[in-house]
Amino acid sequence: MNAPMEALLVALILSDLALLGSGRLGSCIRTVALQGILAGLLPLAEGGAGFQILLLGATVVVLKGFVFPRLLGRAMRESATSREVQPLVGYAPSLLAGVAILAGAFWLDGRMGGLLRSSGGILVPVAFSMMFTGLFLVVARRTAVNQVIGYLVLENGIYAFSLAAAREIPFLVELGVLMDLFVAVFVMGIAIQRINLEFDHIDSGRLTRLRG
Amino acid sequence: MTAGDALLLLPAALPALLAPASFLPRTARGALRLCSLGTAATAALMGAASIAVFTGGTLSTAGGWLRLDALSAFHVAVMALVFAMSAAQVPGAFAEGTADALPRAAARRFGGLWFGSLAAMLTVLISGNLGILWVGVEATTLLTAFLICVRANPGSLEAMWKYLIVCSVGVALAFTGTLLVAASAARAPLRGAGTLLWTGLAASAGSLDPGLLRAGFVFLVIGYGTKAGLAPMHSWLPDAHSQAPAPVSAVFSGFLLNCALYCIFRMLPIVEAATGGSGWGSGILVALGLASLVTSAVFIVLQKDLKRLLAYSSLEHMGIITLGVGLGGAGAFAAMLHTLAHSIAKPTAFLSAGRLVAGFGSHEIRHVRGALAASPVWGAGLLVSLLALLGAAPFAMFATELMILRTAVGAGSTAVAAVFLAAALTAFVGALRLVIPMAWGPAGETVGPLGASAADRVQVLLALLALLALGLFLPAFLAGILSRAAAVIAGGTP
Repeated sequence: MNAPMEALLVALILSDLALLGSGRLGSCIRTVALQGILAGLLPLAEGGAGFQILLLGATVVVLKGFVFPRLLGRAMRESATSREVQPLVGYAPSLLAGVAILAGAFWLDGRMGGLLRSSGGILVPVAFSMMFTGLFLVVARRTAVNQVIGYLVLENGIYAFSLAAAREIPFLVELGVLMDLFVAVFVMGIAIQRINLEFDHIDSGRLTRLRG
Repeated sequence: MTAGDALLLLPAALPALLAPASFLPRTARGALRLCSLGTAATAALMGAASIAVFTGGTLSTAGGWLRLDALSAFHVAVMALVFAMSAAQVPGAFAEGTADALPRAAARRFGGLWFGSLAAMLTVLISGNLGILWVGVEATTLLTAFLICVRANPGSLEAMWKYLIVCSVGVALAFTGTLLVAASAARAPLRGAGTLLWTGLAASAGSLDPGLLRAGFVFLVIGYGTKAGLAPMHSWLPDAHSQAPAPVSAVFSGFLLNCALYCIFRMLPIVEAATGGSGWGSGILVALGLASLVTSAVFIVLQKDLKRLLAYSSLEHMGIITLGVGLGGAGAFAAMLHTLAHSIAKPTAFLSAGRLVAGFGSHEIRHVRGALAASPVWGAGLLVSLLALLGAAPFAMFATELMILRTAVGAGSTAVAAVFLAAALTAFVGALRLVIPMAWGPAGETVGPLGASAADRVQVLLALLALLALGLFLPAFLAGILSRAAAVIAGGTP
């Protein structure tokens, strides 16, 4: 665990908290773009990475830092929604939940102790906290764009976790995973547009006709 | 390329080519006919690959990355059946002049997404690598999402969004599980690309880290279980199944769910071998199966909507299949037969219900009255397939449910047997109360045509006869296929 690595990980935690504490979609999209770039830089900071891992990191930076924010920004503009509408959990309680998630992630890492090779550093607990934060955002936010942002935070967490847990995932599999992620965000963008055409807004909380 | 390689690759290659070709036909009718004919051709290739495995043994190519053994070949055969049945009804379900008619652009897009999902589901089944398997499952979610809202309305868009978000998050958790499985193999003699081949994992199960593997299995079960609609991760299932057009519901219920269960069954023998056959993994499946059964029974009793009734019945049957596999032995054999019977009955029920809903102009059970009098073909299709799905004797699912019950009692799990029996009986009585007025009595008011072509009659009749025949008598070759598939789950080599 070197200094640049730790700086990146701390920045990732801060970006989680920024997402939890803000309801402006524009700034949330920029924050999750920054988080994607930071996650893509992780393998570089670790040092000693081979060509394939560098290529993969570069693809992650381009996709998560530049392509996804554009897709999300377009969905946001076309839906004319710039703020989260009545989140299920307010921003101050969300921040408290973020702190609790962080504490829980470190506790879980302690419990899992010795199971993962890289234990000792803070990569695994930070990855856990990002995954839980993503899940929390998907559940606690009602705007469709914010739910997609939650999904991306979950994905960033899983990416960080994959660096700690399984460096030996075959290159082809990693490429397939990235392709799926790209298509996922693309499809979700189109879905938001179509929902917007029909509903005039993208508050998925009002998608509550189907019950029982 | 050998003949075996061709058998393995062609069924996936054909729909991958047909997906872009779906945008060529000049009319909506042409696009829909391409969909049904192309699917029939693909199903024939899939059937050939499956027969090759059961006569000649496991097919494998590309260094084991592509692989078809008894378990996957059985699922390929079931999938071919479901897709062929559903695609045959595509032109009828969206025919011009009906309320569901599609414009040309929508019909072409439907064909493209249909073949795309067919190719993605096949990728899941023929993949020998857990990573590629995951890529296939996620691709299936993304490609099928827009099939739910072929006709955009508030209900179908809501169902599509729920499906997209819930399943994407679920499947992301399954990827975490895949990573943990890869991490558990760190000390095993597996190198590089071999890390995620399940043949490799199974061969070196003894040297896997049991702690990490258990954590990975929990994530995989939650992730793929979400996609399979197992309770308590089933929230998307009733909405998507009830809002999608009938041929899409038929595929969702008849195979999409089984495809996700297959991913869990793939891992079970590896986990059991690595944890010393303690039954830890099977126990999780038994618990989830029972949870699904109980949940579905409650919602079936309270149901007012015909397509949601069928959706909750799918939840019930995924629960029964999971329970059977969890119990193991004769239970796993029964679960395989149950998979086959459910995948014949449920598409027939959804396709018949789709026509009846169009004819009566309502999804609501109280508006569908006297279906047998209004349309003998679709009325009988719905009534008989529902009776079979409820586990009425002498249909196939009565026999399989009895086998699973006897396995549970034989294993000394009286509590499991009691819960299973209570839930199945509750669902049976609750649904029968709804089915009888729908089927018999004077025909209710209809707003649309309820006609059936000669091909429709043949399809419904064949499906119903198959359900009856499977309940009365199990041919030796079929029993052999089922027990070989069950043996793979039990950890044997087919």
